[in-house]
Amino acid sequence: MATSPKLTDSVKFPAEMDTTKTLFGVGIVGLIASGVGFFLNHEQFFFSYLTSYTFFTSFALAALFLVMIHHITRSSWGTVLLRIPETFSSNIWIWALFFIPVLLGMGTLYSWTDPDYVTGDPIMEGKVPYLNELFFILRQIFYFGVWGWLGYRLHKASVEMDLTKDWGLTTLMRKISAPGILIFSLTLAFASFDWLMSLDAHWFSTMFGVYFFAMSFQALFPLLFLLIIWMQSKGILENTISRGHIYDLGAWFFAFTVFYAYIAFSQFILIYYANIPEATIWYYHRLEGSWAFISYSLIFGRFAIPFLVLLNRDSKHSRKVLIFTSVLVLFMHFIELYWIAMPIMHGHGISISWMDFALIFGLGGIFFGLFFQKLKKHNLVPVNDPKLGESMAKHYHQ
Amino acid sequence: MESKKSEKTLFGVLAEVRNPKELIDIAKTISDSGYRMYDTYSPFPIHGMDAAMKLKKPKLGWIVLGHGLVGFFGAIAMIYFMAVIDYPLNISGKTLMNVPAWVPVTFELTILLSAFGATFGMFALNGLPKFNHPLFNSEKFEKVTDDGFFVCIEATDPQFEVDKVRNLMEKAGAVHIEEVYDE
Repeated sequence: MATSPKLTDSVKFPAEMDTTKTLFGVGIVGLIASGVGFFLNHEQFFFSYLTSYTFFTSFALAALFLVMIHHITRSSWGTVLLRIPETFSSNIWIWALFFIPVLLGMGTLYSWTDPDYVTGDPIMEGKVPYLNELFFILRQIFYFGVWGWLGYRLHKASVEMDLTKDWGLTTLMRKISAPGILIFSLTLAFASFDWLMSLDAHWFSTMFGVYFFAMSFQALFPLLFLLIIWMQSKGILENTISRGHIYDLGAWFFAFTVFYAYIAFSQFILIYYANIPEATIWYYHRLEGSWAFISYSLIFGRFAIPFLVLLNRDSKHSRKVLIFTSVLVLFMHFIELYWIAMPIMHGHGISISWMDFALIFGLGGIFFGLFFQKLKKHNLVPVNDPKLGESMAKHYHQ
Repeated sequence: MESKKSEKTLFGVLAEVRNPKELIDIAKTISDSGYRMYDTYSPFPIHGMDAAMKLKKPKLGWIVLGHGLVGFFGAIAMIYFMAVIDYPLNISGKTLMNVPAWVPVTFELTILLSAFGATFGMFALNGLPKFNHPLFNSEKFEKVTDDGFFVCIEATDPQFEVDKVRNLMEKAGAVHIEEVYDE
């Protein structure tokens, strides 16, 4: 109908809003503090580190998936906000360096690294070809290599299009994304097996990969909401990202809240119903003592409350409702990762350590510091994307 | 002609416009003039028509919610009656209030009744099934499944007066206006 609307906002990140230094500062202070913690209680340090690390990595990975889905479906709705997930995933190759402490702490984190634990145990001996230190390290290099390249390349092509106006790059991005999604889903599943599932080396769940994916992808949308709402409150992209886009993100958020619950519950019900001791033991530990409280709170905090709140279509674009739901789900996402990792160390109940907080700030500061450092370098919107006009013309229906 | 027409009841005044843009404009004019009993007809959905016609939010969501809640609580009541009251069975030592095992059935029934609510609620709100519609008496109206854009103000509207309506439609730029009668 009408001609496509023109970009009226500045596509440059305002210099006075630059929080990169503060974020890096917070990150370095947090990391130094937790580094002191390493000498006090190295076991707690490594478990806290792994929890925080998977928490932030999950956003980058979910963002990468969203970008690839966007390209492969030739979507136009999200073109105006594409730069945000692109920037998150473009940093995976640097972020991979922060996996090194986990490798150094392998001996503490993973019981399968202990030969005394493995020998004489037929189940563990059978897993040796997969769960051994060398193969573990090689796998991590492969995962981060794949993700790092995909994220970096897709961001680079998109930024290149800003300068060269070469629309052929959309074909390139689509061609990268198609095999990218396949290899991403495999590497993500195996990475979740390695990082989290093998903490309890006896236990396994064939659904763990998709469970970790569902968690991560659900948690990406609250993060995007908070970022966009914060940016718009400062006047950034105020007229570019409209109610229609927020509503679409709300629909994703709602859909993946249901998907998460479906997957998480499916994993539970299969194990619960089959009632095989070696499978149920994982949930048994998490229904003991104060861990039970977290298990039940996950049902409400991550599914029931967001589901009921987001069911109404008006709440999918109401800023107040979205901020509340987003904070809740992000908090529960961390709690769930904590609930997966920590019972290995604190079998008897929740035991909060100051290092948990130090590492959230430490790794979070670095993660978001890297994000904003890259975001401010490029246009906030892919200005020469052929689908930008269509994306901006998006209407919100009632 | 006059006597023939008077045997039938007037259904409404049908107007044709050239394109979706004009249809939105004429719908705006009509709703601004205070008419409520009218509808627009086009071969495909048109963005912005809901706002132009000042339509209220559809009630369908509430119907679906009601059905969903009936499915949810109905399933729980049914399973509770069967598994706890009527025929308690010990299944691998689990308690009778075996809530996780209730979830799949509760989920399915909630979905099933919600889908019924959505489908049949939509039928009811649209007045379906309907075997005929007075507008099919108009030959011009056949174009509506291809390239015709129509609006019809119905005679049941409290403000309805044939001359006024015709006048309004002419001013709004309709290319063809006719009165449609119910047989």
